[in-house]
Amino acid sequence: MSNPKKPHVTVMRSQLSRARGLGSGQAGVGHWWAERASAVALVPLSGWFVIQVFRLAGASQPEVAKWGARPFNTTMMLSLVILTFYHTQLGLQVIIDDYVHGKAHLPAGLLMKGIVFLLGLFGAVSVLKLALAGSSRSTIAAG
Amino acid sequence: MVEFRLPKNSTVGKGRIFTAAPGASNVKNFRIYRWSPDDDSNPVVDTYEIDLDKIGPMVLDALIHIKNDVDSTLTFRRSCREGICGSCAMNIAGENTLACLKPIRDIEGDIAIYPLPHMPVIKDLVPDLDGAYAQLRSIDPWLKSDTAPPPDSERRQSIEERAELDGMWECILCFCCSTSCPSYWWNGDRYLGPATLLAAYRWIADSRDEHAGDRLDALEDPLKLYACRTIMNCTQTCPKGLNPAKAIGRIKELQLERKA
Repeated sequence: MSNPKKPHVTVMRSQLSRARGLGSGQAGVGHWWAERASAVALVPLSGWFVIQVFRLAGASQPEVAKWGARPFNTTMMLSLVILTFYHTQLGLQVIIDDYVHGKAHLPAGLLMKGIVFLLGLFGAVSVLKLALAGSSRSTIAAG
Repeated sequence: MVEFRLPKNSTVGKGRIFTAAPGASNVKNFRIYRWSPDDDSNPVVDTYEIDLDKIGPMVLDALIHIKNDVDSTLTFRRSCREGICGSCAMNIAGENTLACLKPIRDIEGDIAIYPLPHMPVIKDLVPDLDGAYAQLRSIDPWLKSDTAPPPDSERRQSIEERAELDGMWECILCFCCSTSCPSYWWNGDRYLGPATLLAAYRWIADSRDEHAGDRLDALEDPLKLYACRTIMNCTQTCPKGLNPAKAIGRIKELQLERKA
């Protein structure tokens, strides 16, 4: 420390070593493709859902429950919920990759994935409840 | 986290004003970023009132006039003054471009000139491009072939194979594209940036190169390649009219193609 004005250099690694870094992570193409494929799949699913919401507008609770108990509607709703939250998780991961660096990166991604997973599961359970509860109630009523 | 504000020692202050000679009729203000490593002060923006009747048509003509006749301390890179060397890449009126190819009359009002964004500054309009050059070096931008060339001639390509390289060989490595890219700003230490990825695809697409697979392996990384979010600033800003975003898209397509 002969010259106090001279700043201490902490990185003397060559620029090429920094550019090469730890090499290729051999990942990325799967995430990139899943993002696009799920986005395309959500276009018809979301369109179908919007139309159903308009059709059911003003309907009574039993009518909606009856609608939700049809296997076709359950299939479409589950697809919509699963793909929406899967796509959400993929997209939020991109934002975290862009803006959260260093040690916070991994926990931020895990926290986000956990929250999105629980929200998605809640949606799926709700759809299933609508689908299965209706039939069980009718069974009880019949019994 | 990403820094959304400039560090304290990078906030830009007001600088000096160099007034035009009395009687100058066709005056335009050039507001130019100034910073020197030789003193401890923050960067400033100096204003130069320039008589356009006395200089050539391009922004570079104004800079050379300032350097020669007004303020010799102004520092910038320039060489060929015809858009082939890439030295005078800078941010002019909010857009990365080459000063030698940018006509002054295309810009309304004052002309703000800054160095290429988000790179370390060496002095005034001179950015430190060492990291970007090292990234270019890291993708091995040269022909790699295991088959020996014919002893008596060059390696041959068909007309169609040669046409594959159009839109890529023209790149002059000015790094206007990379430094216009938000992904490169936030993750420039790992994301290779559009200039380097265009160069990478130039060799992947070359029919004489025999290492396309190795090249794709080296790029298959969440950040090196996939930090590209198809923002397309690169294509918008390229002073040579090239399309780095398309080249990046082709690399992604090839990586997908070889999975199935």
